[in-house]
Formats: sequence, C-alpha cells, structure tokens
Amino acid sequence: MIWLTWRQFRAQAITAAAVMAVFAIVLAATASDLSGMYNSSGLLTCHGDACSGLASTFLSNLASNGGGFVIPGSPYAILYFLSVLVILIAPAITGVFWGAPLIARELETGTFRLTWNQSITRTRWLTVKLTLIGVAAMAVTEAFSLIQAWWAAPIGKAVGLGGGSSIFSEGRFGWFVFPTHGITPLGYAAFGFALGVTTGLVIRRAIPAMAVTLAIFAAVQFITPLWIRPNLFPTSQTVTTIAAAGANVSLRVNPKLAVTASVVPGQPGAWIISSDGVNAAGQPVSTIPAACEPVISGTLGSHSGSAAGPGSAAVNNCVASHGIRVAESYQPASHYWPLQWSETGMFLALALTLAGYCFWRLNRRT
Amino acid sequence: MTAVIETEGLGKQYRGRWALAGCTLSIPAGHVVGLVGPNGAGKTTLLNLATGELAPSAGTIEVLGNRPAAGPAQLARVGYLAQDAPLYAGLPVADHLRLGAHLNPGWDAGMARRRIERLDLDLRQKAGTLSGGQRAQLALTLATAKRPELLILDEPVASLDPLARREFLQDLMETVGEDQVSVVLSSHLISDLERACDYVIVLVDSRVRVAGPVDELLATHHLLSGPRRDPASLPAGLQVISASHTDRQSTLLVRTSGPVLDPAWAVSEVGLEDLVLAYMRQAARPAPRNDHRHLEVRK
Amino acid sequence: MIEFHLAGRSGVAPYLQLIHQVRHALRLGLLHEGDQLPKVKDVAAGLAINPNTVLKAYRELEYEGLVAARPGIGTFVTGTLDGGSLAAHGPLRLELQRWLAKARRAGLDDESIEALFASTFRAASEEDIA
Repeated sequence: MIWLTWRQFRAQAITAAAVMAVFAIVLAATASDLSGMYNSSGLLTCHGDACSGLASTFLSNLASNGGGFVIPGSPYAILYFLSVLVILIAPAITGVFWGAPLIARELETGTFRLTWNQSITRTRWLTVKLTLIGVAAMAVTEAFSLIQAWWAAPIGKAVGLGGGSSIFSEGRFGWFVFPTHGITPLGYAAFGFALGVTTGLVIRRAIPAMAVTLAIFAAVQFITPLWIRPNLFPTSQTVTTIAAAGANVSLRVNPKLAVTASVVPGQPGAWIISSDGVNAAGQPVSTIPAACEPVISGTLGSHSGSAAGPGSAAVNNCVASHGIRVAESYQPASHYWPLQWSETGMFLALALTLAGYCFWRLNRRT
Repeated sequence: MTAVIETEGLGKQYRGRWALAGCTLSIPAGHVVGLVGPNGAGKTTLLNLATGELAPSAGTIEVLGNRPAAGPAQLARVGYLAQDAPLYAGLPVADHLRLGAHLNPGWDAGMARRRIERLDLDLRQKAGTLSGGQRAQLALTLATAKRPELLILDEPVASLDPLARREFLQDLMETVGEDQVSVVLSSHLISDLERACDYVIVLVDSRVRVAGPVDELLATHHLLSGPRRDPASLPAGLQVISASHTDRQSTLLVRTSGPVLDPAWAVSEVGLEDLVLAYMRQAARPAPRNDHRHLEVRK
Repeated sequence: MIEFHLAGRSGVAPYLQLIHQVRHALRLGLLHEGDQLPKVKDVAAGLAINPNTVLKAYRELEYEGLVAARPGIGTFVTGTLDGGSLAAHGPLRLELQRWLAKARRAGLDDESIEALFASTFRAASEEDIA
C-alpha cells in the first residue's frame, strides 16, 4: 500500500519538490546579500535607542525602490511578500490538488472497484494514504515557512530592534505573518488536506470538490484572524491616553470617530486587537467633539461622510484635550506561543475530526 | 458441496424502488454460474451485494460462508472484475501487476507474468491506451493471480468485439480448468454464457425467475406442441412457463420433474437460450390463461 | 493428438459432440490404443467451454470402456470400437456402392439421396427403440 500511495502520488511529489527547489534557490541566492546589508547597516553593534533609528533606515531602504526598477519596492520587499504568499497558499494548494482528488478520482473513474477489492480493507487504504500524503503536505508547508524565516531573519531582527512602522512591521501577530510562521503552517496544512479529502468523498467528483475545498479554506483563512484567533485566549483590556498609545484619530463613516492605537504602553510587541475612543467615564465615544470639527476642516477641507486619513497632531491633541482616551483590547506578546499552539492544535483537531468522518463514511455501505 | 454464495430473502432498495427483491439462492461451489437477465434487472446489484460494495436493505447474503468484504482474508478469497474493467489509465501494465503484488499476500507473480506474456501485452504500455479486450484481459489477470476461491465478473464481455470475447472466455475457461475456482459472471446475452456456464440464474425485473444446473434445467423443461388446449386443463405437476396458441395448435414450454405421458403432446427438448427467453417473457407478460388474440407462430 | 471442434447451433449438446468426435476418430483409425486425449483444461480453453463439459464427455467415454483416466497424467485410449476397422466391412461397402449407383440411375441428385437415406435411417432407428 505504501508503494501504491507513492506511485499514485509521484507526479505531485515531483511538482512540489520542483517548486520547493525554485523557492529555496531564489531565497538562498539573495540571502547573503540581505544579511550583508544588515551587517553594514550598523545594527550589529548598536546600543539602545540608537538602534531603532538604524533599524528604521535599514527597513525603509529595503522597502524603497532604490531607483531603476519598474516595480514598486526593492526586490527584497517583493521576495518577502511573495514568499509569505507561497506559505499562505501552500495548504490551500495541497488541499485542492492532493486532498480533493484522493478519493473523488477513485469514485469518479470506478477504480475503487479495482483497489478496494484487493486484499486490503478500505480502512487500511485510507490510513496509509492520509498519513503519508498528509505528513507530506505538512512537511512541505512547514519547509517553506522555515526556509523563509531563515532568509528573512535580518528583517525580523530589525523589526525587533524597534524598526518603527514600515511595510515589514506587521509584527508576529500580523494577518499574514501569524499563519505563515511558527508551527501554524502545520495545522493549516493538515486541515487543508483533510478538508480536501472530505469534500472529495462527499461530492464524489474531483473538479467540484477542488472548487469547494478552495472556497471553504479561503473562508476559514479569512474568518480565523477576524473572530477566532483573538478569542483563543481571553483578551486583556487597558485604557490609556491617545499620546501614550501612539494613537491616531481619524474619521470614518461608522463609527464616526476612530482611534487607531499602535502600541500598548508597557506591553512591547503586544497584538492590538481593537482600539476605541472612550470618554472619561469609560464609555465608547463615536462622534468627534463639536469643538474639534473646525480643526479637522482646517486640516483636511472636508469632514462629512468621507474617511479622513491618519489625523494630524492637531486633531489628536484637540480630541485628547476633550478628555477622550483610547481603550485597547490586546493580547500581550507573551501569548504568542500559546496562541500558536492553540491555533495549530485547533486545526489539527479539526483535521483529525474530518479524517475520522472520512473513515466512518468510507466504511458505511449504503 | 459448500455454497459459494448463499442468500435468503435478499433485497436492495434505492429511492423507493426495489432493485432486487426476495432473492433466495444457494450457489454451489465448483461451477461456472451465469447470471443472465435484461439490463436493469438487478444483476449488478446482486453482484455488488456479493462483493460488499452495497449493504442489503432486506434479507442476508453470505459469500464463502462469511459476510462480504468482512476483512482482508475474505477479500483475498474473492476476485472481482467490475463492469468495463476499471484500471488506472495513467499506470502502465507493469505497475498494475505491482499493485496486485503489493496489495495481495496470496499473489502468484509467476502466473501473472506468464499470462501477460501469453497475452502479448507490453509491460510499459499505459492501461489507458489498451484495447477493450486487452483491458478485460489485464483486469482478469489481476483478479485471478491472487488465487481466489471465487471469481465475480460483472458483464465482462459486454463491450468486447467477438474475437476479444472468445479469447476472454477461452482464458477464463483455462483458469477454471487449472484452479478449480468457482465463477459467477453476468451478461444480458445468454449466448455469451451458453458454452461456459454449467449453472444458470435468470434474473428479470429484480427477481430470480429460475436457477439451477444447466443439465437439470434442460432435463426438466420441455416444449410441448399439440392441439389447441387451455393450459389450465393440464395435469398438476406441469408448470407452464410460456404458452402460445394459434386457432388449432398450442405450444407450451413447461417445467416438470417427471415424464410427460399424455400422448396428445409432441415433446421436444429446449435449448438454453429458448429456456431463458421463455422466463424473460413470463416475467414481462405472465402467460395468459385463455388468450385467443395471442397469435404467435412458433417453429 | 485429436483436435476437437464444436458446431455452434447444431442442437447437439457439446459433450455429445466431443464423444462423437472421439468415436469417429477411433473408427477412422486416427486414434489408437495408448494415445492420449488432450487435457481437459486445454480442450476447455481451446473451445471456450466449461471444463465440466469436457469431463463429462471423458467420463462417458470411460464408462463405455473406450478410454481410461490416469490421475495426474491424463486420459488415454484403451479400447477400440466394436466391429474393428471399416476395412472389415468390405461386403457392406460394396452393396452400398451398388445401391448408390442405382439411385443415380433413378435420377436422384445428392440431396435427395441424403434425404432418402436419413429419413429411412431415422425411421428404422425408431422402430428399433419402440
């Protein structure tokens, strides 16, 4: 059965190996240049506050065009985001191309009547297939993640040294960063694969199953950072001044007043889940104080209905002087690994549940 | 002799319709059993129940004394060739043999290799590019090389040209002659099965109409022709399968265990094909007792 | 070694056809004592018929004393048919030739001669049975 699994999986394995090879070669070719830039930026020998300035310079150099390229941003920035994208979609690809056709093709072509009448049970057939290919999916995705993390180490270090806001500063908890670093890729790969196999079994046709798998997986990847991840652990709350939170006041359609914080005082590296303006009594404030409206129109020219960008210091000070502070809901930095384990565990459990369903359904003779 | 397939009131229902009903059979070992009936009669359903792909809606079925597909040991004892010989189109012949070798502890590699050589199949050719006859032969090799006690073949020659059909049956008969394996094969044409089968089951409209060894069936069915007579007036013990009348003559196909002594009847033997057709007609249209309009000239 | 064939729709059961062919071969001297009959599985494979059919024919021939089965080796011819070879029936053959000549002079063509012979032969056989 191991031989048969390999023989049927061979073409997909070769494709994955080729993609991984390209990925690794491209990153390896540029890795030494990247670390060279890091070494020559002075970040190796800096101390304390001087570092954050150097880090910001380093990162903005990476992000900038550098002149001469048609594409926005330097090649390093493009490589960074492309490589993260690869890790992000790898579980979807393995789910769609490895998982969905696994059972569906056999049912579609009738070959199940050949294979499931050899001297092995359906349970054994599925066990070997799920284990070998599932582990392969997890290994491939995690390998992409590790290679990318090795390549992007200088960037990570710079961000950690206080690199301020740049396109790289999404931080460990970022929407794209959290599921592509650490151990979460394993959970996503297992879930994507199990999802594919299950849809294939239920729908019984490979192409429709591939489409449904992609749709469901994309939905999950959208819903998880929005509603699930923040609540895997109870969130912490704090109320602080607009200035201390590095917050910016801006106008939106609903709520009218948005206070967007960028740090939690005393909690470096925290993940800010939400921030709202509150009054002195701690109640949410959703409209801008009347007295500040002229300040806004002065700086922007229009204040009704349209979203106003990151406010100026004048707007921030005006709003703050009216007793409006910012309430932040956050996960401290120390929750990073617990969140990683929880989310990975959750998706692994989901994958195992789906697999269990597949075993049950496969053995159920209608 | 033990039974290879034993069913008791077996039935299968799909969406309200009974694809098979009230099927009670005891198929003895050591025979080549022909399961014959029109398309949609329930042949594939019965065979799928025997391989364990389907579970009964009513009644029971036992294959070689066990529940179908009860475990690896049971699966090893039954070889199966599904309709249209499903194979992996992208895998070459050699890899199909490896599949058999890896998935069957009882695989006889020498036998498989000899068959493939004799069939002159190219080991490197992908199964998707083989002809219909070659696919059927490869599938038969896969089913027989694991040395099963029972071979189940679902319409194995239905889509084959006459030469491929003959060659397939030749190989099947050689396997039966060598290995003493019991065979159950289905077809909607009795002519395919006549020479090969020594036990016949006629399945029409989800029900078994008649089943038994061919010799016994031919010995107990007779064609009676004589002056016009109401079938109801025949002596008991004579079961009328089909009847046709002209204004002066009646021709009946009857089943009886004893001899026909009435001198008014000319008694002649019946061929297997005519016997099967009579049962098919009976199922479609039960023989009318007194139908003057039924003008059918029988040779 | 004798080679069997089957007439598809002759109405004669396959096993009977095999028996007839063995007896015919014996009569014509194509099979001698000690000759081996083809193996059951080879006959079954060659004609695509059930091996039990071949077995039935061989058993019937054994019952008639014409062949004997040696387990593990094969089935061998042991006897000859009563009346020895056709050569012993010289006078009968001569009479037949004269009758044929007469029939031709009477104007009968081949088909009519065969039909006349067949119907007379059948009638005579039935009289023998009754």
